[in-house]
Amino acid sequence: MFSQTFAMPAHGEPILSLRFVNKSYGNVRAVRDFSLEIPRGCIYGFLGPNGAGKTTTIRSIMNIILPDSGEVLFANSPLNATLRDRIGYLPEERGLYRKMKCVEQLAYLAQLKSIPRREALKRAEKWLERLDLADWKQHKMDALSKGMQQKVQFAATFIFSPDLVILDEPFTGLDPLNIELLREIILLERDRGTTTIFSTHMLAEAEKICDAICLIEGGVKILDGTLDSVRQQFPMHSVHVAYADGSEPPAKLPQVSQRKFEDGVWRLTMVEGSDPQQLLGQLAKIGALSYFSANRPSLSEIFLTAVKRSRDEHAGGAGEDSPTISALEGEI
Amino acid sequence: MRKTLTVIRKEYLERVRSKSFLISTIIGPVIMSLIVILPALLAESGGEEARTVGVIDPSGQYLEPLQQALIAQEDEHITLLPINVEGLPIADGISDLKEMILNESVHSGVVIDQEFTETRQVTFYNKSVSALVMLDNHLRPALNRVLRESRFEQAGVPDSLHTFLAAASDWTSIAVTAEGEEEEQNEAVSFIMAFSLILIIYLMVIMYGSHTLTAVIEEKASRIVEVLLASISPENLMFGKVMGIGLAGLTQFSIWTATILILSFQGVAIGSVSLDITFLSPVILVSFIMFFLLGFFLYATIYAGVGAMCNTVQDSQQFHTPIVMGLVLPMLMLGFVLRSPDSTLSVVLSLIPLFAPVLMFIRVCVQTPPLWQIVLSWALLVLAIWGSSRAAGKLFRLGILMHGASPTWVTLMRALRS
Repeated sequence: MFSQTFAMPAHGEPILSLRFVNKSYGNVRAVRDFSLEIPRGCIYGFLGPNGAGKTTTIRSIMNIILPDSGEVLFANSPLNATLRDRIGYLPEERGLYRKMKCVEQLAYLAQLKSIPRREALKRAEKWLERLDLADWKQHKMDALSKGMQQKVQFAATFIFSPDLVILDEPFTGLDPLNIELLREIILLERDRGTTTIFSTHMLAEAEKICDAICLIEGGVKILDGTLDSVRQQFPMHSVHVAYADGSEPPAKLPQVSQRKFEDGVWRLTMVEGSDPQQLLGQLAKIGALSYFSANRPSLSEIFLTAVKRSRDEHAGGAGEDSPTISALEGEI
Repeated sequence: MRKTLTVIRKEYLERVRSKSFLISTIIGPVIMSLIVILPALLAESGGEEARTVGVIDPSGQYLEPLQQALIAQEDEHITLLPINVEGLPIADGISDLKEMILNESVHSGVVIDQEFTETRQVTFYNKSVSALVMLDNHLRPALNRVLRESRFEQAGVPDSLHTFLAAASDWTSIAVTAEGEEEEQNEAVSFIMAFSLILIIYLMVIMYGSHTLTAVIEEKASRIVEVLLASISPENLMFGKVMGIGLAGLTQFSIWTATILILSFQGVAIGSVSLDITFLSPVILVSFIMFFLLGFFLYATIYAGVGAMCNTVQDSQQFHTPIVMGLVLPMLMLGFVLRSPDSTLSVVLSLIPLFAPVLMFIRVCVQTPPLWQIVLSWALLVLAIWGSSRAAGKLFRLGILMHGASPTWVTLMRALRS
């Protein structure tokens, strides 16, 4: 019934646009001249380390904080209360009414998104079934485990069939089984036409599920685009290597920009244009290799390279308050 | 609008269905009647406890009439214990009496002069102040009667004239209202009724007003607030909460009022305080309802604004006192306003929105002020409610970003100005 009140953009056209959004807290500029277009029907990764400005941007979209300047467009119209009823939001700070029954809780939150009560109750039952919580519908939230509460909250985000959902760190505190369940639901909802913004600092998580991404650091957009186009922008290799005797690859190699030990192998992010074949020769001289592979770079490698590149461009303009690259490495 | 209704419905049902609602609905009237009626009952039955009064009556002719007089006054709880001083100096009897009072074998003592009819002299020995109440209410009138009777006898007044001569003045109290009508009233009853109505306003504000504080804090503590604000504006959310809680309170008070009305139609009297609803003139009834609602909404929105800034109930303590002061101050001014309800100071004080629900209402009860003053105080209250609910919504939005830090007055003021 709402689709009649505004024209939904076609698949792939921007459903949500941010134009020059700014927000400061005191002297801290949390978000700077932030512009973004999110195409309809995709899963969009909103990526960056903790404190990059992701949550502030999302809160500006949801009208929880008012940006200092800039505008947010939904389906080409300035975002207002009616249009916000088409957006589902799972905040990073989770919480539900502790003394309310599951089914009541879901129905109430659906009603607050303009679903009539009768319909809201029906949907609440359906969603609880879908999430294996049918036996718990008459229980108060207090009685549920943390994981179950998270699932109820997840259902609350989707229950009113939103056109866009914003999930802020949705998988924190969930076991792998539930993560898999929720991932399935996100993909199913995408196939139904729902656009998803998936905000996280866990880049590996995002890489598995996103169609397009935007990388944020220090309140500034570093890069954005589809996953493929981002990879094309960084035509470099990531070499994974391990030595039989546990030796380390040299810390300083001219063709390697970053070195990181993870899951028993050394991950060497190569400088663009350098040849993995030639690196192999060099590494083999150090000791007996037990493992060698040349891969496309992971998102976190791209992210760190991009941050470095943008800082080189603005030579010293990043300011003293921005974290060092090695500090960022620990975060993502 | 529909969302606000949803919030109202949820907040209302959540409260009305709770066990504590049921319990307080039953216990409330019990406590209230205790507060209102107990003092009256106590005042009446002040000496009902059995008391023994030692009596030294050297002439021996007053003890018996005093006993009779007490019985005539229905003061059977006072037992007279004659202390025999025949053949002894009175001073000995008095020192015996003092000792008996000290070791509490008698409550107090009376020494009636030998020539009481002429000298009128009586001495009262007592240990506690409460004995003076007994003296004034029971012993003095009884002995006055004895004195009168004995003088009548001395003067040879015939028995048939005793009652006639002993007559006391008979008072009727009339309240003159603005309409010029005169109505007979029982002052004690009107005052008790007015006082209970103020007490109801008071209870409503304190019980349900502070509910909004805890309800808002709960929302923040359970961190559901972001989900809510993604769906509804903070102003509408606040309005819905205050309305829902207010309606729950109203439901409870309606149940109580209905009970009182039914009781009073049944003619039930508790002590001598009959529940006289004829006192509730239309003006008083209408202004009661108005001050009841407006007072609640004003304090509820203030409480909600405080809740919006705090993360825990403990955080809110420091803001609690000033709000309660707003309620206590008019109680302290009550005496002054009662004495001179038309003085400029009374008029000004009763127009201040924070005080109006108590002070303007008591003025309506004791002496109806000009209509414009009543209407003006309503208008000011509505204005104050509008302002405080806007502020509460604003604080609610700002409060989200204040996780962790306890708010101070400084941050509160800064938040309101921004």
